[in-house]
This record gives sequence, C-alpha cells and structure tokens, in this order.
Amino acid sequence: MPKVTIAQNILAANDSIALHIKQSLAARGIRVLNIMSSPGAGKTTLLERTIERLRGQLGIGVIEGDIETSADAERIEARGAETVQINTRGACHLEAHMIRDALQQVDLERIELLIIENIGNLVCPADWNLGEDMRAVIVSTSEGDDKPAKYPQMFASSQILIVNKIDLLPYVDYNVEKVKRQALAINPHLRLFEMSCRTGEGLDTWCDWLLSFARSDK
Amino acid sequence: MHELAIAESIFDAVVAKATECNATRVKSIRLKIGEATSIEIDSLTFCFEMLIDLDPLLSRAQLLIDTVPHRARCRHCDKEFAVINFIAQCPTCHEWSNEIVSGTEMQILEMEIDSAESDHRSEHPGR
Repeated sequence: MPKVTIAQNILAANDSIALHIKQSLAARGIRVLNIMSSPGAGKTTLLERTIERLRGQLGIGVIEGDIETSADAERIEARGAETVQINTRGACHLEAHMIRDALQQVDLERIELLIIENIGNLVCPADWNLGEDMRAVIVSTSEGDDKPAKYPQMFASSQILIVNKIDLLPYVDYNVEKVKRQALAINPHLRLFEMSCRTGEGLDTWCDWLLSFARSDK
Repeated sequence: MHELAIAESIFDAVVAKATECNATRVKSIRLKIGEATSIEIDSLTFCFEMLIDLDPLLSRAQLLIDTVPHRARCRHCDKEFAVINFIAQCPTCHEWSNEIVSGTEMQILEMEIDSAESDHRSEHPGR
C-alpha cells in the first residue's frame, strides 16, 4: 500500500490560471479590481456611478458575475463600459477559468482598468484568486454592523473596505465606527471609503483613488 | 457552499496523480487545512463523499484532514501567538504588526494507493 506524495495546493489549478491572467493583463498595463459584498450592498450601483464619473478619463472593462440573468450587465453596459456577463448557474463564487474565458470577449485595447463584480456572497469568493491586483469589500448601512466579525476571512483578504449607503444612517441602527474598528482589528492595512452611491457623497474621493490605482506602477 | 468546488479540485488532482501512478484504488487522501481558510470541514467531507461515489478508483477513499491553527509572529517583540477570530494583535506587546505563521494552508499532502505493481508484488511475496 504505497503512499504517494502530492504536496499541492488544493486550488493550484485555479491559482495558476489566476497568475496567468494577472501577468498577461499587467503586461498590457491593465489593473484588476475584484469587488465583493453580500447581495444588495451596492456593487452594481457603485460600478454605474464610477463609470459615469470616469467616462472619458479611464477605460473601464467590467466582468459581471451573477448566478442568473444579465440584468446587471445591461445596467453597466448602459453606462458605456465594456461589459461581459458570467452566469454561474448556481455556483456561489467566480473562479479564474471563468474570468479567462470572459476575457476573450473584452476589447483589451480599450481598457486600463478591469473591474470584476463577484457573486453577492461574503464567504466563498474569498478563497478564489481571479488574477486581481486588489480586492474591495463593500458593506452597507442597511445590513447588520457586525459583518467584519462574522465574515473575517473576506475582510482579512481584502485591501479596501467601502461602507455604502451612509445617507441612510439617520434611519438605521448602524454603527460605522464599530464596523471600522472590527475590520481594522482583522486587517489593519484596509483602506477605508465611506460613501452613498445614491447621493454621490464620497464618490469623488473614491474615483480619485481609483484613477490613481489604475495609473500606478505600470 | 463552495466546498463542492473545493472537493472537485481535490478530486481532479487526486485522479490525475492516481492515474500517473497506475493506481488501482485510492485508499486515503491526507489534506492540510488551515483555520484561517473559509473551508467548513464537515461540508467538504460530505461533498467529497458524494463525488467519489461516481468513480470506482476513489470510492470508499477516506479523507484525512489535519487542521492547522491560525498563528502569527509579532514583528515588534518576535513572540508567536494564537490568532483568535482573525484578530491578530500581539497579546504581549499589543502591537498589530505581524506575519502569519500558519492557518492559511489548503494543501493535498499525500494519498495511500493500491497500484498494479503493489498488487503484483503481494501476489508473489517471495520475489
């Protein structure tokens, strides 16, 4: 009964595709942002507002992950960005091979920044590298204010935390300081943004940062 | 429920290696899973057992899982400590700057197989 050493990362197949994506996009000067959140935190709305504001300044391509429907891709496309829809048919996260296949449909000559909107889920997407340079996690004030403590792996593996829907703060029991404290205890390096995609508050700061991210270190 | 996708990744890697080794049966597979991953061990085991039913090479293969604690080393005082609930503050000097020592592992270590060669040897113990 021989023992055979395998010594391989379980997600080695995914990670090697992700590395290839990252390297080939970096070679073209394209930066990649992976956006994650629970369903309804405002990923698609943030993309709409971001694309509107940066139109003419930054070529943005979007890969839109949803379990079903192309509704979100239609919303994004209407704002004028290159958009490809991935339907995972039930799968709760995007995987690198889905991004590789979707990229076949993106005109890479036209973009400097690729934004991947992951499936709405604060657990599973954290384990899957998609070839991104950065991960952003969005929480919103209409959810509970204990998300970082409940889903620490997502916050530990992200570089950016966005608190969205701050216009609702007078009407909800949401403690932004508590969320920031919890998140920074898990990951002291998180870059924080507070915004309302509905009123536009905080969006200028976000877009300025995104522009400098897309143009940095190429 | 991404444990099914994780189980499929393990299944594919094990089948590839078993084929390469001319295995006639895979008896067990040893994994190393860190506490800081979002893998739920019971779900993973359940999904894996569901998958191996589909393949005679792996059916009845046992999944052996070594879990690894989430630990970090303080960059300030150099002491190693347990990270509880992902909060990696040094309990000695209360600094936040640290490097993760363990807990993020997600590895297939080894497997135990019956192979065509070992079957042959056991049939001819005198050789």
